[in-house]
Amino acid sequence: MSPASSLQRPASSCDRFGFLDDFAVREMRRGMLKALAIPGYQVPYASREMPIARGFGTGGMQLTLALAVPQDRLKVIDQGADDSVNAVNLRRFITASCPGLATTTRTAEATLIQTRHRVPERQLAPGQMMIYQVPYPDPLQIVEPSEAKRRRCHAHGDYARLWVKLYEDVVRFREVSISNRYPARVAGRYIIDPSPIPRWDLPKLHCSPVAHLFGAGREKKLYAVPPFTEVVPLAFDDIPFAVEGFRATDCSRHACATCGATDTFLDEIPQVGAPPRWLCNDQDRCAERQGYPDGA
Amino acid sequence: MVHETPVLSVAGLTRIHGRGCADCVRLTGDAAGRNVCPSCGSVVAVADISFDLWPGEILGVMGESGSGKSSVVKLLHLDDRASAGSAWFREGDGRRHDLVAVDEAEARRLRDTRFGMVFQNPHLGLNFGVSAGGNIAERLLCGGERRFQTIRETALGLLDRTEVPRARIDHQPGQFSGGMQQRLQIARALAPKPELLFLDEVTTGLDLSVQARILDLILEIQRELGVAMIVVTHDLGVVRLLAGRTIVLRHGRVVEAGLTDQILEDPQHPYTQQLVMSAL
Ligand SMILES: Nc1ncnc2c1ncn2[C@@H]1O[C@H](COP(=O)(O)OP(=O)(O)O)[C@@H](O)[C@H]1O
Ligand SMILES: [Mg+2]
Ligand SMILES: [Zn+2]
Repeated sequence: MSPASSLQRPASSCDRFGFLDDFAVREMRRGMLKALAIPGYQVPYASREMPIARGFGTGGMQLTLALAVPQDRLKVIDQGADDSVNAVNLRRFITASCPGLATTTRTAEATLIQTRHRVPERQLAPGQMMIYQVPYPDPLQIVEPSEAKRRRCHAHGDYARLWVKLYEDVVRFREVSISNRYPARVAGRYIIDPSPIPRWDLPKLHCSPVAHLFGAGREKKLYAVPPFTEVVPLAFDDIPFAVEGFRATDCSRHACATCGATDTFLDEIPQVGAPPRWLCNDQDRCAERQGYPDGA
Repeated sequence: MVHETPVLSVAGLTRIHGRGCADCVRLTGDAAGRNVCPSCGSVVAVADISFDLWPGEILGVMGESGSGKSSVVKLLHLDDRASAGSAWFREGDGRRHDLVAVDEAEARRLRDTRFGMVFQNPHLGLNFGVSAGGNIAERLLCGGERRFQTIRETALGLLDRTEVPRARIDHQPGQFSGGMQQRLQIARALAPKPELLFLDEVTTGLDLSVQARILDLILEIQRELGVAMIVVTHDLGVVRLLAGRTIVLRHGRVVEAGLTDQILEDPQHPYTQQLVMSAL
């Protein structure tokens, strides 16, 4: 099942599947089609009241509810974890309102992946779709408080003040200090806030084989990076964008203490009376590398 | 002999605030002694302004408060749009644009890369939330520069040029003296190597010695860069020092125009005569 077929779900099959009424589903899908047609453009939409407080992933959840079909297999993560309270609650709500929808923690098996703060480490493949919970959809928010003015800036491609922020960062810290929500230009036009994923994850959006859909429930905005689309982090020509290094003082690369990976985003776990341990943030990737010892 | 064409050719430039009526222009101006239309209440900020600006020239725009000086500059800098008239700008590459009719995207490009503006109030011309260097960087970034080192070096060069100490590059403009804020504004305005520079009362309110230093700087920039400038002031001394030619505005109209020296020696209009007399 491809993302395209998911978007083509006939309206009649929606009855009592997915919490949202048909009208809301159509509204979301129209918004998503527009977002895919204008990569990186923030499409306003009528965000529904959800039985979860806004700011707890309602934007991402509405996207999932509007897209999911009974044949889908859903994965929900918060940070890199499938079992955190937030992820569990969201997954429970979605499956309760979408009877028959299968869930999985395995990235390889998922068709829909709803996420907060991470992109799975495993290379995504056609047939999958990423859905992001977004707190702040507009990268210009840090430099311009007025939404009307921000819209004009986007319309004119006027991102000079964002660049000035980068300049000031380099002056002050000798590098761009933005650790997550790193602004990136999509398809050579609009600059997006890729949601609070770490820099580490940003290159995964570039020319990715899957669609990445972003939903901000509180701010009532949708935007998208279609498959195989350029996503270029904002960076000066002579100060290249760099992801987290996870380097020890001797410059060697930390490895995951559990699976030994040296090519994943690591969490630093402080230890009492011992050096910190480093562990894969993406739990599924860590388990997969170990051959799923718990049979998860 | 080189056949020169003006950088800027302004004809009939008019800006009416309000809904306007058929009689606005006729019922206002120098002869009427007002700029508010008695028939409809609209403000005729400027009307029928015409002049040429030649390459490398400094043109003075003089007049009392409310005479329309800033309005002229705002229209030409595309911060405001004219109600009527034309203003043909000739870009360095020979392309010509009527500033009254350019679209918003073109206006942005011209402002970002071809024009520079220095305001009396530094809060209008500077971003007080970012450093001095950041203020200059913004203009370079608008012009598409993406090399950090180049931006840094260009900013330092511009600070040198405008006599702002290099060590202040990473300081906020709020920590600068009034004179230094104006010099920083000039540095920022010059960053994209503009072809046209607008200076609106840039020395007003500063100490005389500080004023003199800025006026000297403006003359040096003209000599070195050959950039054409429009200098707005209510101060005879400023046009005397800077401007080869001057236009005098009153109630939104040009009431006198010509070589600055001639205007000062032999003013034709009673208003200018009075101005010159009171300055002696
Ligand atoms: N946005 C506006 N709305 C109404 N009147 C305006 C506006 N801007 C300027 N004016 C009026 O236009 C006239 C000329 O203003 P201005 O060009 O600022 O004069 P100057 O710079 O010579 O002091 C003044 O009477 C002023 O009040
Ligand atoms: Mg003024
Ligand atoms: Zn009128």
